[in-house]
Amino acid sequence: MDTVLQLVLNALHTSSLYALVALGLTLILGVLDIADFAQGALYMVGAYVAYFATAHLGISFFLAIPLAMLVASLFSITNYVAVYRPLRRFSGATTFIAALGLLLILQNLALMVFGAEYRLVRNPFPGMRIAIGGATWTGYQAFLAGSMVVLVTAVWLFLKRSPLGKSLRAVSQNRGGALVVGIDPFRVEMTAFALAGALAGAAGTLASAVNAFDPHIAATVVIKAFAIVIFGGMGSVPGAIVGALIVGLAENLTGGLISTQYAELTAFVLMVVVLLVRPRGLFGEQEAKL
Amino acid sequence: MSGGRRFPWSPVFVVLGLAVAIAAPHVFTGLAAQHLLVIIAINVILVASLDLLVGGAGMISLGHAAFMGVGAYASAILVRGGASFPLGLLAAFGFAALAGLVVGVPALRLKGHYFSVVTFITGIIATILMTNLVSLTRGPMGLPGIPFASIEFLGIDHTFRSIVFKVGFYYLALAFAVLTLLVRWRLGRSRFGRALAAIKGDENLAESVGIATYRTKVTAFVLAAAIAGVAGSLYAHYVVAIDYGHFDPLYGTFLIWVMLMLGGSGNNRGAVLGALLVWAIWTGASFAVDALRPTLAAISPDLPQRGPYVRFLLISLLMLFIVLYRPRGVLPEEKVVSLTRD
Repeated sequence: MDTVLQLVLNALHTSSLYALVALGLTLILGVLDIADFAQGALYMVGAYVAYFATAHLGISFFLAIPLAMLVASLFSITNYVAVYRPLRRFSGATTFIAALGLLLILQNLALMVFGAEYRLVRNPFPGMRIAIGGATWTGYQAFLAGSMVVLVTAVWLFLKRSPLGKSLRAVSQNRGGALVVGIDPFRVEMTAFALAGALAGAAGTLASAVNAFDPHIAATVVIKAFAIVIFGGMGSVPGAIVGALIVGLAENLTGGLISTQYAELTAFVLMVVVLLVRPRGLFGEQEAKL
Repeated sequence: MSGGRRFPWSPVFVVLGLAVAIAAPHVFTGLAAQHLLVIIAINVILVASLDLLVGGAGMISLGHAAFMGVGAYASAILVRGGASFPLGLLAAFGFAALAGLVVGVPALRLKGHYFSVVTFITGIIATILMTNLVSLTRGPMGLPGIPFASIEFLGIDHTFRSIVFKVGFYYLALAFAVLTLLVRWRLGRSRFGRALAAIKGDENLAESVGIATYRTKVTAFVLAAAIAGVAGSLYAHYVVAIDYGHFDPLYGTFLIWVMLMLGGSGNNRGAVLGALLVWAIWTGASFAVDALRPTLAAISPDLPQRGPYVRFLLISLLMLFIVLYRPRGVLPEEKVVSLTRD
């Protein structure tokens, strides 16, 4: 029982990282209908910013988080302005390939500059333990899960309360209608990309102190996040969060109780099974939107 | 149609192209050049099979290299176990078709992004399986010692020792490439091809005029997978050592897409041109990286050994320029109005 509880606690931090990336992907899918594979690269950017800021510039880890979010967000906006916006008139194939191209460009650029050595950011809470039942949570795991809750709540409030967030939802629900009432699509789309980039950057930074990373992490993460987005229901914010929780949990349970070798398959298998039963995913309605 | 008849250029191009393709290994006699020719021929098969989906039916499949991998492994494992090469080739076709069915049946119930992302992810699943089914594929160690292609036909017994003698194998691959292009061309003008084109235009409309869209799409997907499997078998018996890395969606499939987008989807000339250009650039980039080695070393001592990344960076940048400035490829699709019946 304690093992299971421990695995569930461990799952919470895996899930948090997935949830942030999946949420960003969902925002972009909502307003622009683009499968932005390059978000994985922004996760990687976040991780490297955290690494160099803490190890070489001596910046505190807690300051590195907003810094990484800012840098990743700028990358995301650049991708949008330079690539996705000019391509918006073309069919799906073009944007798909452009997105994969961006991911590969950033990943190979990082491989070229940083090499494929694994790196790990120093844990900002060394030695801190929280006992829960028979299991323990490290201080950092708790911090990670807490950060996810704060960020997701912030995005949720932004979408529900702020005027810009409302126009973002309007564009995703009915683009034509939103344009008619005078919402500027450029501003909304840029906001979605900036937010998604910041979320991916935050996830990368938060992950950098628990999971050793190299540039290949970019592809690994975004693929799993997409499996979660599809599993939860494309375009649904609750779907992305709940999907991430379930996938993280399933992954840790498979890894802990069956075999770590097949743990990485769990997300994909879940996705395929859900698609067979519910082709629109767990939370996917006919018109699932933000 | 009224107006003057235009000279039918196509047959001339086909004959010229074939003549060039047949003469090529005797003009370029260096091993490296002949190797490039073989790789181009195999890739023409891959691009044409992907184009059956993309140019033919507007299906954006992002896991195509996985089917090549299934074919490569099926054929390599069987022939290593003692089966003959033609049997391996047939098995590659069959197993890749089966894989296409397993992926296509659920995936094609989805539309748009869903379909594309799911094909991408099934491609990832395939590479994970190739890495983890160690007893079958030897996983990350790769599968070495695959026998050369060898055929017995009308009393002629020939083994293609393709490490040193490339010309024979080149003609074998060329034959399959031409066969694939022929199939692709003929299909485009058949009832099946027109059904696919209708689906590409407007799926609901196609359904409403009585086309069994789902079944048509699954058939196309399975056929494309099977052809990619054949390319995989040829590849495996040509390079005689394979590992999962070649069949990854991010690298393998992406390269096939670069060829398709550069050449232009929806026509055979695009497939040939794309394969040619991309492999010329790919090889050129490798020479460029080699030539730049001292410069790279001067910048940072780590850089020269990171040559492969530089090369992939160049090809991804090329891809981005294509989609931004030439989104329909060098040879864009032509509108074909078909008035024939069959």
